[in-house]
Amino acid sequence: MNEILLFKGTALIYLLATGAFFLYLVLLKDVYARVAPFILLVGFAVHTAALGGQIAHNGFPAVTDLREALSVYSWLVVGIYLLVQLKYRLTVLGCFVAPLAFLMALAGLAVGPGGELPPGLKTSWLYIHVTLAFLGNAVFALAFAVSLMYLVQESRLKSKRMTALYKLLPSLERLDRLNYIFLVWGFPLMTLGIVTGSLWAGVYWGAYWSWDPRYIASVITWLLYATLLQGRITAGWRGKRAATLTIVGFVVVLGYFLWGDAVFPSRHTGNFE
Amino acid sequence: MHRDIIIVGLNHRTAPIEVRERVAVEESLVPAALRTIRNLRSVHESAVLSTCNRVEVVAATSDRDSAFAEVKKFLLDQEQAGETVTDQHLYAYAGGEAVRHLFRVAASLDSMVVGEPQILGQLKTYYTAAQEAGSIGAILHRLFHRSFSVAKRVRTETGIASRAVSIGSVAVELAKRIFDRLQDKTVMLIGAGKMGHLVARQLKRGGVSSLMVTNRTFETAVQAAAEFEGNPIRFEEFHRYLKLADLVVGCAAAPDFLLRREAVEETLRERKHEAMFFIDLAERRNFDPRINSLANVYLYDIDDLQAVAQENLNGRAGEVDKAERIVDEEVESFLGWLDSLEQVPTIVALKERLEAIRRSEMEKSLRTSLKGMSEKERRAIEDMTSAMIGKILHGPISRLKKPLDEEEEALYVDALRKLFGLDEK
Repeated sequence: MNEILLFKGTALIYLLATGAFFLYLVLLKDVYARVAPFILLVGFAVHTAALGGQIAHNGFPAVTDLREALSVYSWLVVGIYLLVQLKYRLTVLGCFVAPLAFLMALAGLAVGPGGELPPGLKTSWLYIHVTLAFLGNAVFALAFAVSLMYLVQESRLKSKRMTALYKLLPSLERLDRLNYIFLVWGFPLMTLGIVTGSLWAGVYWGAYWSWDPRYIASVITWLLYATLLQGRITAGWRGKRAATLTIVGFVVVLGYFLWGDAVFPSRHTGNFE
Repeated sequence: MHRDIIIVGLNHRTAPIEVRERVAVEESLVPAALRTIRNLRSVHESAVLSTCNRVEVVAATSDRDSAFAEVKKFLLDQEQAGETVTDQHLYAYAGGEAVRHLFRVAASLDSMVVGEPQILGQLKTYYTAAQEAGSIGAILHRLFHRSFSVAKRVRTETGIASRAVSIGSVAVELAKRIFDRLQDKTVMLIGAGKMGHLVARQLKRGGVSSLMVTNRTFETAVQAAAEFEGNPIRFEEFHRYLKLADLVVGCAAAPDFLLRREAVEETLRERKHEAMFFIDLAERRNFDPRINSLANVYLYDIDDLQAVAQENLNGRAGEVDKAERIVDEEVESFLGWLDSLEQVPTIVALKERLEAIRRSEMEKSLRTSLKGMSEKERRAIEDMTSAMIGKILHGPISRLKKPLDEEEEALYVDALRKLFGLDEK
């Protein structure tokens, strides 16, 4: 079970990266700003190897149970963050991503492995749907993080009470632009994820739509993000309003992802019959 | 006669901007103000200093209590002062405290934006004005010149000024938290106030490339625009151009707000709510404070900028301590000089007294016992008696000139005056 060892290693390295980002946050030393993303990159490489090993072993992207879902999701979030870091130097965003990745990796280790995927589900629709939906969600996780930063920075500037944090956080304009970029990338991914999911459901269950709580949550979020994107493009919505809507949208998804299945039984996860 | 220095005034710590502006003395009005102050019975020498942050009267006097009362009255009787300015806004320092205060002001330690370099220039301007008005004498001359060199020492020997967090640099720093880059931003400068120009210059240095200048006098706007390589705009039309401005710097002398919340709200709609940063540096506010409550708009007035600068400074307390020690040293040395002025008249009087005795005794002798002396002999005796007096005085005078503590000095000066009857005619 080399992969288990690799997953444990991944969690450990993410923890180290979290520590380095935390030191950066507290001490504001440039050296941590350089080291922390690098540690995260190493973790990402190990994580990639672990997932690769798992795919080689099982022969399909492992997203059929919570454990695997968490693992793939955190891999995507870290990967996208590293790309953003490369282009925008947004080290402080890592302070959100690293602990998130660590917690998800840890949760992945704690949750036991799921069963075999029923053979009927192993269609390419599944892979496409899952990849798109997860990518979209990972992008929105980062959009959520920059929106949170925006609100903090905005309230600092409005209240005129400056703390060390205000120097750490990027400019409002950059945070707002990132919110827009994430929205522009995340929204089509999410749309395609929903469409492919619906098509897959049509193929598998014979119905493209059902009043399933997860469907409803996805559609609510989709409508929210669609409104936001439309508002941004035509009415010049930006800043605090855009940040708040992004946060609300993500909380709906996240809330559903974490508690939804427990409260409203859905046939979407783990219950394929 | 005891020589004393007093300072009465108000600053950003004791009075808000609305109060400060009411007693502000414009540069052009300095001569008139100094004329009034000179006429005060207790004031011998005087200077005024008036900036956005402070209005102060510095005076040399020999009667500190009357001078306090008279100068306070002068400030409270300013035309604009009315009921707004009260005794509570004023501080009054005398002697060593006054010297320390002026040195700290010059060294930019009393500025809320500690370490900002403008204050020294302003101090020099107001000193020159006082000199031209003829109200500077030996004491203030020395005091101001010492304060300039204290400022120089503080600047070169401490790190206070190295990262001089002036109002301008705080404004630039804030702008960079709102906007990602300043290169593609446009500044509108309203009014010709000095602070406005300073901040505009720093914003340009911070990367801003496009600038509009407006002023009630269009020629002034044209001049300033040439200086900043910007575009002049007629004052009546500035509202129309507002939507193009990302940063708006107000430093106009106006009795009422130039921009109200409603006008900015309208502009924002035209701009599709792109962020705007308003910087109000005017003595009397140019921008309605309610503007800050609009989304995507940030309004900072001069007091806000100073408060931010102050927070930036907290990390540099060590340098401030160093600067305070320099000021302590210099205050000591200045007070030493001031005190020596007290001994000098005593020494002079003593010399005169002995010389008078010598001369009268010489004359008496030349008329009687030494009558018929040759010119050569007479001169020899003159020289000898002068030398004797010199020798006799040498000890006491050098003892007096050495630094003494106040009590000892007063004792010696007093004793000399009494023993030799220096105060009798």
